[in-house]
Amino acid sequence: MSETMSQAHDQQTNWGVSRPDTENTVARIAVRGLDFYYGNNQALKHVDLDFPDRKVTGVIGPSGCGKSTLLRVLNRMYDLYPGQRATGEVLLDGENIIAPDVDVNALRARIGMVFQRPTPFPMTVYENIAFGVKLHERLSKAEMDDRVEWSLTRGALWGEVKDRLHASAMELSGGQQQRLCIARTIAVRPEVILLDEPTSALDPISTLKIEELIDELKNDFTIAIVTHNMQQAARCADRVAFFYLGEMIEVAPAVQMFTAPRERRTQEYITGRFG
Amino acid sequence: MRVGAPPGPARDQAVARVLGRRRYRLNRLIEALCVAATVLGVLLLASILLTLIWRGAAGLSVSVVTQSTRPPGSNGGLLNAIVGTLIQTGIGTLIGTPIGLLVGTYLAEYGGHSPMAHAVRFVSDVLLSAPSILIGLFIYQLVVQPFGGFSGIAGCLALAVIVIPIVVRTTEDMLQLITPTLREAAVALGAPKWKVIVLICYRAAKDGIITGVLLAIARIAGETAPLLFTSLGNLNWSISLTRPMASLPVTIYQYAGSAFDDWVELAWVGALLITMGVLATNILARVALRGRRTS
Repeated sequence: MSETMSQAHDQQTNWGVSRPDTENTVARIAVRGLDFYYGNNQALKHVDLDFPDRKVTGVIGPSGCGKSTLLRVLNRMYDLYPGQRATGEVLLDGENIIAPDVDVNALRARIGMVFQRPTPFPMTVYENIAFGVKLHERLSKAEMDDRVEWSLTRGALWGEVKDRLHASAMELSGGQQQRLCIARTIAVRPEVILLDEPTSALDPISTLKIEELIDELKNDFTIAIVTHNMQQAARCADRVAFFYLGEMIEVAPAVQMFTAPRERRTQEYITGRFG
Repeated sequence: MRVGAPPGPARDQAVARVLGRRRYRLNRLIEALCVAATVLGVLLLASILLTLIWRGAAGLSVSVVTQSTRPPGSNGGLLNAIVGTLIQTGIGTLIGTPIGLLVGTYLAEYGGHSPMAHAVRFVSDVLLSAPSILIGLFIYQLVVQPFGGFSGIAGCLALAVIVIPIVVRTTEDMLQLITPTLREAAVALGAPKWKVIVLICYRAAKDGIITGVLLAIARIAGETAPLLFTSLGNLNWSISLTRPMASLPVTIYQYAGSAFDDWVELAWVGALLITMGVLATNILARVALRGRRTS
């Protein structure tokens, strides 16, 4: 997996600063004709959406529009709950990941997820990171130490916790816990990271740190972020998709989305007329 | 939007004062009843404990823990009963806890709302409140009769049957208190369900589950009825699990009603020992759990 990542890294051009037109880049995940049901209640209606490789795709929309549901389809989280089902195609590098024969645990190693509220496991900082790694790899103690340091560094947390790796993760602040959750996700070395309103339970300073972190991480990971906060979508995302009542209304580069949306409903939402 | 004056006549201050006084008096009455009930409860408990300490401490001596039970008037002790209770409580807990833990895990993690889970939950709750003498009779039929006699192991099994529903209930409750997002977070890293349960959920629920086990230990340490038909009691020193075994509650039961003063005194001592043992277990557990949570 690291090999494909470094190959992908070599192909990388100078994205990021000027935010070129993202429509030309390769789709890492391609959603095609996706319908999703909670029992008889349809939450997503024939959604088509691309998540370009190593870009940040923001998903916005009012409560209940299906944006979180979309993320939970991408890593098959809905499998936990009988009665929830998806039809259509979600292609990860061409493979349909919502097919029934997919190894979901291996899939989740490739597509990581960070939740709205920090979810540290009741164990030490070190063990929090090692937990996910051990599920998929056999590492020596020294290799694991390196991996923990690497992922905490990438998670912008190493400096704050390097002296208390073996203290309980529950003692960290909310913002630190959330960065730990991001580091824990990175440690498994996924290709895609799903962020479900990752800062909505955090204070402004912690939010800023996480937004900076997202900007840094997109050099190596394909990122999808669901957010209620339109400023956040404008700051973080290269492309933004607007969802309303289970439908994908519009997708466009962030600048265009927030300055000249094509759809009337998008404009009404981003100017605060509903939501 | 503006709303006009509320409907109805203007407030009558005299009526308001009457209502206020009535509310005040009712409040004082309920308060007094609550205090009275509390005082009554505490007094009863205190009088039991004080009598126990008074009568029990009078009979305390070294021979209590160095001598086994003996015929009246020969200065015996309770050693065989103390050791018998420790063995039967210990083995009963060791057998009952893993079964209870697994059943509780089934109910919380796998069974859900299935008919099977409902049936198991119902049976477990019935067992929780079943008279313990019935459990003694059950083991009598199942173990004592077929194997030809009262035995320590039969006592252990009867106590284990009492432990199981207590551990089932606390394990299920504690596992269900864990937020779904914690499970989802582990699943999102690619963890299979059994690893989520064993490595994450058990850890998160550990304090509550341990408390449940301690409750169960406290309960069975003082049980008499299930032992009467199983381990029977033994006036001599014996730690063989295949022969009748002494225990503190049964010894208390036998001695307290006897006509010999020294036996009655030993019964008080035995009661004090059990009470203090259960109290010490609870306090130790609380201190240990509290110490870890803040560290």
